[in-house]
Amino acid sequence: MSAFSQLTDLTWAALAEKPALEIGATVFAFLAGTRLSRLSGNHPLLNPTLIAIVLISLGIEATHTPYETYLRGASTINFMLGPAVVLLAVPLFRQRATIRASGRLIAVGLAAGLPTGILSAVGIAWALGASPQTILSLAPKSVTAGIAVGISEQIGGLQTLTIVLVIMTGITGAVLGPIIARLARIEDPRVVGLTMGIASHGIGTARALQISEVAGAFSGLGMGLNGVLTAILLPLIYKLL
Amino acid sequence: MLEQIARVMFWLCVGEIAARSGLLPLPAPVTGLILLYAELAVRGKLPDDLGILADRVLQFLGMLFVPAGVGVIAYLDLLKAEAVPILVAVIGGTAITLLVTAIVASRLGTARTTIEKQKLDELEELARDVSI
Repeated sequence: MSAFSQLTDLTWAALAEKPALEIGATVFAFLAGTRLSRLSGNHPLLNPTLIAIVLISLGIEATHTPYETYLRGASTINFMLGPAVVLLAVPLFRQRATIRASGRLIAVGLAAGLPTGILSAVGIAWALGASPQTILSLAPKSVTAGIAVGISEQIGGLQTLTIVLVIMTGITGAVLGPIIARLARIEDPRVVGLTMGIASHGIGTARALQISEVAGAFSGLGMGLNGVLTAILLPLIYKLL
Repeated sequence: MLEQIARVMFWLCVGEIAARSGLLPLPAPVTGLILLYAELAVRGKLPDDLGILADRVLQFLGMLFVPAGVGVIAYLDLLKAEAVPILVAVIGGTAITLLVTAIVASRLGTARTTIEKQKLDELEELARDVSI
C-alpha cells in the first residue's frame, strides 16, 4: 500500500518540518474533487482522486515547489492508508452473509480477472515492443502497491516503475470501472465491486465504496484475494516460463 | 472511539511486525485487515464505534492515494522512453480486465443465483395464487 515507504519513515522529520501546507493542499484539492464529482452526478471521468492529483500537480508546477517537498509533507496522508485498509474489514464483516452466499461468483471472478490482469498488460506491452524489464514491472500492475512491489522485486522488475504503474492502473480502473459496467449492462453491485477490486485494487475500491457498501465490500475482497493469490502464483509462473 | 483506533493500530502493528520479521510476505495493512476480520468473526459482533470509524475514514479513502498519485507525475520521466507501450498496456489492459472479469463473473458466477431467484419468484407467485 505505502507507495513511498521510504518517505513514511520520515514521519518525525515531517512533523518537525510542519507539513500543514502540503496536507492542507491535499485536503482542499480532494474536497474540490469531491464537490466537482458530486456536481456532475458522480460522473466516472470526474474522479475526485484524479482531480485532486491534477490540482496538486498544477499547484506544484505553478509555485515551483520540488515534488520531494510535497511528498515529504504529505507522507502523513500516505501513512493513513495503512489504518484505512485495515478498516476495510468492517464492510467485509457487515456483508459476510452476502459474501458467503457468493462463493461461486468470487471464485469465477478471480479465475477470470487474475490471469487477464497480468496477461493483457504483459501481452500488449510485448506486442508494442516494450523492454523485458518494463514488461516484468507491468505484470503485477493490478495488485495493491505493497504486494506488487514485492512481486516486482522477485521477478526482476523495477520497483519504482511498478509503483507508478500500479497507481496508474488504480486510477484507470476507478474511472473506467463504472463506465464498462454500464456498457456491459451489469448492475449487480457484487460483480461491479469485485471486478473493480480485482482490476484496480485500493483506488478502485475507494470508487466502489461510493457506489454502495456491497460494492465496496466485494471490491475490498477482490483486492485482497487477488493480491495474495497473485503474490503466490506470479513468481511460480515466471519460474516455469 | 479511542479504543477502536487502538484496535485498528494494534492489528496494523502486528502486521508490521510480521512483515518486518519476514514471518509473512504480506504488507502490514493486508495482514491487519485479515486479523481484524478474524477478530470480528470470533466476536460475532461489530462494536458500534468501530463501524462509525470505518464509515468516516473509508468515505475519504480516495484522498489517501493523492500523494502517491502526485508521486507518479514526479516519476513520469521513467515512462518517457516507452510511453506508448506502457500507456496502452495500462489503460487497454485495465479496460480488458474490467470487461472480461465483469462479463465472466456475471454470466458464470451469478447464473445459479439468477435461477434460484427465478424459482423463488415463481414460488412466491404460487403462494400468492394459493392464498387468493
